[in-house]
Amino acid sequence: MKNKISIPFVDLARQFRSIEPELTQAFHDVGRSGIYIMGERLSAFERMASEFIGTKHAIGVASGADALFLVMKSLGIGPGDEVITAPNSFLASAWTIIATGATPVFADVSEDMNIDPAQIRRAITVKTRGIIPVHLTGRPADMDAINDIAKEHNLFVLEDAAQAIGAKYKGRRVGSLGTAAAFSLHPLKNLGIYGDGGLITTDDDELASHLMKIRNHGLINRDECELWGYNSRLDPMQAAFAEIKLGYLEKWNERCRSIARVYRESLNQYVEVPRDHDYEYSVYHNFVIRTDKRPELIKHLQLLNIDTRIHYPIPIHLQACASKLGYGLGSFPRTEADAKRILSLPIYPELTDEEVAYVAESVRSYFKRVS
Amino acid sequence: MNSTIQNFLPEQYQKTGALEINHNYLHQQFFDHDEILSKIRNVVINGDFTLGKEVDLLEKEYAEICGAQHAIGVGSGTDALFLSLKAIDIDKGDEVITTPFTFYATVGAIVTSGAKPVFVDAGDDYNINPDLIERAITPRTKAIMPVYWSGKPCDLDAIENIASKYNLAIIADACHGILATYKGKKIGGLGTTACYSFHPLKNLNVWGDGGIITTNSIEIANKLRLLRNHGLISRDECQVFGYNSRLDTIQAVVARHMLQKIEFITQTRVSNASVLDEKLKNIHQIKIPRRETNIFQVYHLYMVLCEQRDELQKYLIQHGVDAKIHYPIPLHLQPAARSLGYKIGDFPVAENISKNTLSIPVHEFITLEQLNKISDLIGKFYEK
Repeated sequence: MKNKISIPFVDLARQFRSIEPELTQAFHDVGRSGIYIMGERLSAFERMASEFIGTKHAIGVASGADALFLVMKSLGIGPGDEVITAPNSFLASAWTIIATGATPVFADVSEDMNIDPAQIRRAITVKTRGIIPVHLTGRPADMDAINDIAKEHNLFVLEDAAQAIGAKYKGRRVGSLGTAAAFSLHPLKNLGIYGDGGLITTDDDELASHLMKIRNHGLINRDECELWGYNSRLDPMQAAFAEIKLGYLEKWNERCRSIARVYRESLNQYVEVPRDHDYEYSVYHNFVIRTDKRPELIKHLQLLNIDTRIHYPIPIHLQACASKLGYGLGSFPRTEADAKRILSLPIYPELTDEEVAYVAESVRSYFKRVS
Repeated sequence: MNSTIQNFLPEQYQKTGALEINHNYLHQQFFDHDEILSKIRNVVINGDFTLGKEVDLLEKEYAEICGAQHAIGVGSGTDALFLSLKAIDIDKGDEVITTPFTFYATVGAIVTSGAKPVFVDAGDDYNINPDLIERAITPRTKAIMPVYWSGKPCDLDAIENIASKYNLAIIADACHGILATYKGKKIGGLGTTACYSFHPLKNLNVWGDGGIITTNSIEIANKLRLLRNHGLISRDECQVFGYNSRLDTIQAVVARHMLQKIEFITQTRVSNASVLDEKLKNIHQIKIPRRETNIFQVYHLYMVLCEQRDELQKYLIQHGVDAKIHYPIPLHLQPAARSLGYKIGDFPVAENISKNTLSIPVHEFITLEQLNKISDLIGKFYEK
């Protein structure tokens, strides 16, 4: 009986099946329209997204990474500049800074695994131009403290909200809390499409206008190129899928939060579990526990057909690609300590209560056995 | 300010409902969508996004039909050019030679790489004039980016001679050129890399943005595979800081579907073009660019130089023919090029083409009857 349950870390087919008729309809509509680049389906999603996030503008682009990159390019970031971000994020938070020509400067995280405002202060130099706080795992970074620092030093704040669509900080959605924000629509995200895609939100008219140009070759009309740009557009087929899914997002996020509640309550005496502050509304893109028994626990869960992941085992500053940045082991003690202890449990809206209970019980059973 | 830049469609992409003979044929192309949908459904059900099997298969098939050892699917034709430049380590301070008669992305990719675009005038075949390349070379020149405009390969022997003399790379903008050949050789294996676009209006298209790079160099292929996917060598290890530019797996499904038809698409375009050549050759106000026996061009666009171009375009549109101009302003005269210091008169051939060129629908859904109608209309226009 025990072996009958098998819990993959992700199972995107479940969500697809649950809304397949709507998605198929969108596929046909966009297909028959013959419009496969930008157009009204993209605009419709952008309007819905800007309303949802609570910003004046939402701009669809080709990926979450491009969203970060294009905002920095629009803000004039380039060689000689420094941008501060967290070392425990996905690589794109750092390489997009490199791609602009600027230098990423890392600041260690706090107990909540988000960038530590006190460490940001220590990382500021005369070359610092901005801060990219990452709302890691769908949990908002401490935006008030970060915005205060930014104001003091005249820095931009670009929220890396790739994992956090729908999350709130003091009642406001992430994506509306800084100069601009970058969201990813990658298939594995809480709002995931069927390919690469991204979204930028901002209240800044001038920035939005610049972004609309540079995502489309710098064109101001078919025949005139005002500035050299890029090609980074969200496909309308994908925008149509995103629009449909955005209609379900709050429900899905609520479900992830209730799964997180079950995990938290059943596991807190065995492992460190993430806890929201009362002013945070986290959306649990990942549910990350911390334990000294990680390798053993992974093995135990594997035997029970439960798939887990580590986000991420090697911090960015210790990657081979970062060797030129001059960091080493010991540069960011908290990030490095976490990297050895973190483990992500399966969490997605389509998990059944039975499956959630099975995961929780399986984690507990490991610790009960060893204690 | 926010109202000034709309989410506009490029004009040539809009369906002009009133016209009978359009450049845009995508709604016609969608007729066998059920077959594609069921393949896409499989990808989605299997969760095989982000590269995956369909991309692998497309890359194998594409490399073969384009005569290269490797093909690497990327996010767009623009990204294909940009990543190729990055794969040969182009950076700030470098110069890349290209033509001012091209689409914006050619130059955008060079600027994005950090390099400076250096223009060399076109010849009367609309392509870069190899005789003028050598004098544009400086110690900073690292690469030549020839554009196979409208699907006609450039004079590659001449360009390769110059490239090998000065040790330059050739990053070919083959976005229009799928299946084209030069002296019997498929162009995908010529030059350092060849860069293709799968934009919806290309001969082989997908239903969104997409592109692919072909090369015979295993080192460059490996580097491109790293660069397109965050520099990752495994899920957890990053060897170089890269980019995110992947061909969507569901778009690879569309591309593979279209690949089965590409021979037909190409042959139909070529035969449509030869019908037009035959019909227009006696109209002395029309100048057909020279056709060459050792070059197989694939007519992404059918372009001629014509007298009273703007009036002719208006006349054709009035009579239901979607005549277009690709493009009325050469790159060196675009507002974006201001800082490069060029002016009117610098590239007389390109400027002349921009003033006089007209594109006539040539795609695979155009019928012989429609071609007759087009040529009759053009004849009538000049009789007036």
